[in-house]
Amino acid sequence: MNNKMMISIILGFMCLLLTYGIAIQVKTTNNLGTTTSSNATENKLRDAVLKAKEKYDNLYNDLEEAEKKLEEERANATQNNSELAELESSIQEGNKAAGLSEVTGDGLVITLNDNQKISASSYLGDPNELLVHYTDVIRVVNELKNAGAQAISVNDQRIVSTSSIECVGTVITVNGEKIGMPITIKAIGLQERLINVDRQNGYVMILRENYGIVADVEKKENITIPKYTGVIKFQYAESK
Amino acid sequence: MIVIAILIGCILGAIIGINAPVIPYTYSTFLAIAVVAALDSVFGGITSVLKKNFDLTIFITGFFCNSILSIALTYLGQRLNIDIYLAALVVFVGRMFTNLTIIRRYYVEKWVEKRAEKAKKAQEES
Repeated sequence: MNNKMMISIILGFMCLLLTYGIAIQVKTTNNLGTTTSSNATENKLRDAVLKAKEKYDNLYNDLEEAEKKLEEERANATQNNSELAELESSIQEGNKAAGLSEVTGDGLVITLNDNQKISASSYLGDPNELLVHYTDVIRVVNELKNAGAQAISVNDQRIVSTSSIECVGTVITVNGEKIGMPITIKAIGLQERLINVDRQNGYVMILRENYGIVADVEKKENITIPKYTGVIKFQYAESK
Repeated sequence: MIVIAILIGCILGAIIGINAPVIPYTYSTFLAIAVVAALDSVFGGITSVLKKNFDLTIFITGFFCNSILSIALTYLGQRLNIDIYLAALVVFVGRMFTNLTIIRRYYVEKWVEKRAEKAKKAQEES
């Protein structure tokens, strides 16, 4: 009896380990949303991409931690020195202008999305007219800049001096990162000026009225725009 | 008793596993191969119970050694840039099928025997 009980406990424990492993594995693969393709090369490539991305995420977390530490150290060092404190505040101002720090403020949120009412298959004209293209994003961002926006992000990608908005086949990339529909463009600035983006016969209105593209413009308080996640390095440009 | 313990273990493991944090994708290959090795050990264990030569010590050591060895082989394969885990996978899954065949034969034969006996009894009664 005693022996039998021990056997059952050990077997139960082993089954626990087994199902635990299976559950974690299933959860991990579910989390990544990957489906195994029948093409071995494709699988290998995806594997490599996922691993590289994981590595990048880990390194980026490290970097962020180090930056936080640096900021703390700087704050500590400049606490009792007015000259250094001034320098510190000028660094922060520079970071804000360069897009290297998170900013909050009142502004505008514009949502762009493909035409939802007409499906491309039933449309008699050019189906391209129903879609949001990268040029649309660029024009909206430009209009926001003209209206005095001080910080702009497209789907949480900060627009900085080195930013690019490109078309890569069927997707749009901002700062080299893919962004999907719907596109949310946030801008911080004087709301009364920014709202001019939605003026009569302006580009946003043309998109909405003539092409039926979803283009919602909304005033919002306390918008948070994330900082630029890439690296800005001026190797060749030197200031005189 | 044993069945109950196994059921409880399975349910508990699933619950803990669902609530546990996700492991990094880099290591998921290792866990996958370890799971397959453990499954192979379990099927081997069931077969040996049916054959009546079940030894708990051999079962436990097989369970853990197979898992660890397969993980080690997978790691070695990654270092050498060759998919050794494929070889382990073929062996484990192949053995799983052999064991499943033995288990199936055992129960099918038992069932056929029982039916034959019943038919005999019915004949005698009539």
